[in-house]
Amino acid sequence: MALLKNFKLKTIHNDVVSLTDDIKKYVEESGVKEGMCIIYTPHTTAALTITSFWDPNGFLDLQDDICRLIPTRIDFKHQHDTPQDAAGHIKSSLIGVSLPLIIHDGKLLVGHSQGIYFLEFDGPRNREYFVKILADS
Amino acid sequence: MNNMDNALRRQVYSLPDLIAQQYEDLEPKTRKVLSTPEIFSIQRIVLTGCGDSYAAAMATKHAFEMLTNIPTEVVTALELSRLYQKKQIGFAPHNPLVIAVSNSGGVARIGEAVERMNTYGAFTLGITGNPDGVLAQKSSRVLPLNIPSFESAPGTRSYLVSVMALLLMAIRIGEVRGVRTMDASMDMRFDMLEQGKQLAAMLPAMDEKVAAVATKWKDFDAFDYVGGGFDYATAFYGHAKIMEAVGKYAMHINTEEWLHLNFFMRKSTEIGTVLVANSTNPCDSRSQEVEGYMQTLGRPLMVVTDKTDGVDTEQTTYCTVPATRYPITMPLTHFAPLALLAGYLQVLVGEEDGRGCKDQWSFAQGGKAVKESKIVID
Repeated sequence: MALLKNFKLKTIHNDVVSLTDDIKKYVEESGVKEGMCIIYTPHTTAALTITSFWDPNGFLDLQDDICRLIPTRIDFKHQHDTPQDAAGHIKSSLIGVSLPLIIHDGKLLVGHSQGIYFLEFDGPRNREYFVKILADS
Repeated sequence: MNNMDNALRRQVYSLPDLIAQQYEDLEPKTRKVLSTPEIFSIQRIVLTGCGDSYAAAMATKHAFEMLTNIPTEVVTALELSRLYQKKQIGFAPHNPLVIAVSNSGGVARIGEAVERMNTYGAFTLGITGNPDGVLAQKSSRVLPLNIPSFESAPGTRSYLVSVMALLLMAIRIGEVRGVRTMDASMDMRFDMLEQGKQLAAMLPAMDEKVAAVATKWKDFDAFDYVGGGFDYATAFYGHAKIMEAVGKYAMHINTEEWLHLNFFMRKSTEIGTVLVANSTNPCDSRSQEVEGYMQTLGRPLMVVTDKTDGVDTEQTTYCTVPATRYPITMPLTHFAPLALLAGYLQVLVGEEDGRGCKDQWSFAQGGKAVKESKIVID
């Protein structure tokens, strides 16, 4: 059995959006006891990641350090769009646009501190992501 | 078939398609003509041009400032050539950015201005349809225009394309500098395309109204074109078409200044008066006051506006033009009724464009008077 659902979201500049509750709910409603959950976003200036949800300042640290690693510079060779866009492409490539997770005992298997997050490297934008559920049998 | 059909009118009817066609041509070009480092180095912008190109510069000056956050001034070619202070040129590397517009590209004074700006350290961008012309040859960068040929008439298609090219440059510079997002910038670009569709839908009603106004005004010897802010350039364009197409006296003036000067004129019932007064213009309240004074004076009046609540009278005609989501894009189409008016008046008085450059006007044949001039670089 395989299920696919599309989720929409609106972001702000350099947003960090929690997807955890929506994905957990979708998995539980699917009735799949054992299997895989694949989360994918079809954007090139955004990414998906797992990080701790306990301290919201951690989200700021995450975006700050991503920006320190890949600052928005004016000398990117990609100049068709904007420097923000060029930096966003690199951030997206390095962090990735998909997450494979395990479904066990009818629930999403995530650590007690782990949350699933959409990272915006542009914004404000209208964004989307997909969740695919694959049952083991 | 309209029995007063004319080349200016046919140009106006070609504008909706031209907007769509030119957008496809110019949008990618305006992305490439300046590199990101060049865009980030801009500290001040100077827009220049002659005639309709000067009007296009005025039409977009506020757009440049609002969209890029960079101080922008409009300077005539002659002042840029002969008077603009050297210490204001090259005050920082490659500054100011001088954007010079000339579709023909062969105007001597524009070539002189660009050469002088380059000499003293400015960065120059020529917007021109003539790759072999003096503007293209002397500019640091060139944004090439490619306007499909059309039946000759006083500049209408070329004016629209000049305004569009400048607006797209302003949007691009603001987008790259992060003043607004790519999505917001694209929305602004699409607003320009939408205006073309609106204009196409509005043209028949607009045409009918303007033809009636021209019929009433055909014996007038003087015309006032009044507007403020975004609408001033449209007023400038309108007065220019009267001179070019009809050969009669016309004046363009800022809405405020009209109440300092033009309203003193006698024979007020014989001066065709066009007030460009859009609802989103910050000058709108003043435009409404001035409209009242115009009516008190008995001025025959055509109000060009995006408002739809005007009630026509024997004295006053309200000519509705496209309402845009972004006021800065309005100059793209709001000159259309003014071109129609000039075209109809030309037919009604039996005039010829530019007096045919015959007799005492023969010195201007082929644009000679503006193409051939002593070049002075000081």
